[in-house]
Amino acid sequence: MNGFDLQGLLTFWSRRWDDILELALQHIAVVALSVLLATVIGVLIGIAVWNRPVPRSLTIAAAGVALTIPSLALLALITPVFGLGWTPTVISLIFYSLLPIVRNTVVGLREVSPAIMESAKGMGMSPAKILFAIQLPIAWPIILTGVRVAAQLTIGIAAIAAYVAGPGLGQFIFQGLSSLGSKNALNFALSGTLGVVILALLVDGAFVLITRLTTSRGLRV
Amino acid sequence: MMSTVTSDTQLMATRTVVPPARRRVFTLKRFTTPIVVVVILAVLLWWVSSLELDSIEQRTLNWDYITLRIGEHLSLTVVASALVAVLAIPLGVATAKSPSKVFRAIVLALANIGQATPAVGVVILLAILWQTGYTTALVALVIYAFLPVLRNTMIGIDQVDANVRESARGMGMTPAQVLMRIELPLAVPVILAGLRTALVFCVGVATIATFINAGGLGDMIVNGLKLQRYPVLVVGAVLVACIALLIDWVAGFIEDIVTPRGL
Amino acid sequence: MSDSTATRAATGAASAGSTPGGVGITLDKVTKIYAGQGAPAVDDFSMSVQPGELVMFVGPSGCGKTTTMKMINRIIEPTSGSIAIDGRDVLSLNPNELRRHIGYVIQQIGLFPHMTIAENIAVVPRLLGWGKQKIADRVDELLNTVQLDPGTFAARYPKQLSGGQQQRVGVARALAADPPVMLMDEPFGATDPITREKLQAEFLRLQESIGKTIIFVTHDFDEAIRLGDRIAVLSDRSQIEQFDTPANILSAPANDYVRSFIGQGAALKRLALIPIADATLSAVTGVKNAPTVAADATLRDALDALVLAGLPAIDVVGGDGRAVGSITVDAISAVLGAELPGVPPAGA
Repeated sequence: MNGFDLQGLLTFWSRRWDDILELALQHIAVVALSVLLATVIGVLIGIAVWNRPVPRSLTIAAAGVALTIPSLALLALITPVFGLGWTPTVISLIFYSLLPIVRNTVVGLREVSPAIMESAKGMGMSPAKILFAIQLPIAWPIILTGVRVAAQLTIGIAAIAAYVAGPGLGQFIFQGLSSLGSKNALNFALSGTLGVVILALLVDGAFVLITRLTTSRGLRV
Repeated sequence: MMSTVTSDTQLMATRTVVPPARRRVFTLKRFTTPIVVVVILAVLLWWVSSLELDSIEQRTLNWDYITLRIGEHLSLTVVASALVAVLAIPLGVATAKSPSKVFRAIVLALANIGQATPAVGVVILLAILWQTGYTTALVALVIYAFLPVLRNTMIGIDQVDANVRESARGMGMTPAQVLMRIELPLAVPVILAGLRTALVFCVGVATIATFINAGGLGDMIVNGLKLQRYPVLVVGAVLVACIALLIDWVAGFIEDIVTPRGL
Repeated sequence: MSDSTATRAATGAASAGSTPGGVGITLDKVTKIYAGQGAPAVDDFSMSVQPGELVMFVGPSGCGKTTTMKMINRIIEPTSGSIAIDGRDVLSLNPNELRRHIGYVIQQIGLFPHMTIAENIAVVPRLLGWGKQKIADRVDELLNTVQLDPGTFAARYPKQLSGGQQQRVGVARALAADPPVMLMDEPFGATDPITREKLQAEFLRLQESIGKTIIFVTHDFDEAIRLGDRIAVLSDRSQIEQFDTPANILSAPANDYVRSFIGQGAALKRLALIPIADATLSAVTGVKNAPTVAADATLRDALDALVLAGLPAIDVVGGDGRAVGSITVDAISAVLGAELPGVPPAGA
């Protein structure tokens, strides 16, 4: 219905750039917090179950269920209990992040070659020492990929969370919706959406960098 | 930048890219999901019928209303997924077989940007630029679910062992025959995994379609939230979650059945 | 190199007095039964290994030789029986502590890919709490011992090394904490024949200087003959068919099973273990420009030269280049025990 008015968009940006920035920072903050917590929880869960077939498949199935549930549904379901704003957002984001992280942790730990495991054991390392000195460093690139996937997921889901008053650029998107028909509707929605896209690409790039920096040179392909 | 295929393959850790090595047996374990879903729905039904519903809730929590919403939701999901399959698989094949690295890079870059775009953003932008309603929602779903299928198709074709390809050519098959008889069948598990992901995405995004008057179970969730009617919200949310789980399960089932024996 | 083989074969064990690097291992009625399997994998295995001895376990795949070896450092736990290292019961010790004092080399090596070569070698010393300088010195020392230049290799990663180089690092890593005992499971098995030949030669030289007590598992009988002080020929359930020096096994195989391992050319293989000094030399032939053989070579080298020359006798030349006598085919046969007229039996 509305045509695309570049001039109007640029004016919009010049007037609202501080809002946009603030929302972008909020967006990053909520994603970072959630992914960080999810990584800690997820890696711990992965360490607990990687070696035990039954708990392992149960855990991965449960985490898979979480990922299948539509985000709006999950967000809405927990609002009666957790209210609106940051809390339900962070909780949902952690929920969604768990599958990629747990699954990659388990896969990474299991893929360490038997020859390496045996020579470590033969050298007198205890299982705990093998886990921390050998398995985790070798599995790290794979785990980090899981975190990366989780980050990508949550950046998108965080946009929806604005509907339950969650922080971030989603607020602009929904403002575009609620002001449908007005001349700024498109600008709001576009700014919000573009902002999320740019954030996603930046975060992805950051992950490539982090992976390169934290992976041992001996492991890089 | 890490090699695209490596990062893609690892990125797909979200959904199974690796062909499932399951035996196709009708075991109890296979039916866990539907059984759990039925149990949840039964509990839901029992809970709702035990409530005293006010007039607003009654307007929503009746069979007619609910079946209508479910119908809209499923319609969006299935139609969008079908469109995605028809569009993305051929494009994926073409891209995988294309000799031009530039073409591949462009397609993958566009698809990546598409995936990085939040679904809700796409839906609302389209609504503003064009119109609200069912068709817009459909287009948004197709855009959003495009990438998993495209990417999986490409990976599926690429990952066919070079030796297998070579011996097929050595037997005198034309490239087209190799594609139809060898590569595609071998790529089927991976492509199906992508379709399964797409289906689940579609159920999720169809929920958001409520914001642009496209109907679906999202209506119940949003109404429940707006009007502070907890039962409506819960029923809507649980129903859509169950649908998502069931669709995922059906897709998994089909994946297993269609995967060529020996894989 | 050949004379070290000869010396070792003659004495039957590394001279314990020169470099006491090892301790004794005793296995007493060791048995391993896996749950759900009827027959034991290792049945009532008893053996006594001398300090500084290199014992080869030879047998076909599945006979239990590796299982037996792995019970010594308790990678596999015995079902019954006892194992003692230096008199101390292995089963009563903490397994991790135990393993830090045993060098362990497996066929696929298992170098840690995320650590440099230096870090790989330093693993056990670190576990034992050595100081940084001591570890660094030790790493350099070991790399030199396995003929890898520390300056080049210490900072590299496993994936940057060839198969043979990785094997050497594996051995260096096992030696790092200077353990008195080493267990080696087909350590050279994954390399090509040329590399393996070189590794074996270096390993012999190494064992000369460090004299550790080593259990070495292999399915290659020739490798066993070349390297071992004593060889245990094993059959199913790790039964010991014969446990003796290479020379004794070659000259007097206990049964057909052992004979089947030796295969053809037993006599020639024996000759490779015996120094020329053991034979009775005849007078110098004085033939000019004829091939000769060095006095510190083996009888096999002598036979080789004789066949090539086509002469009845060839001169044996000492270190100073002067002929000390000549050797004939008859004299060689006499060493192996043949009774020939006109030739005094060996050792006379």
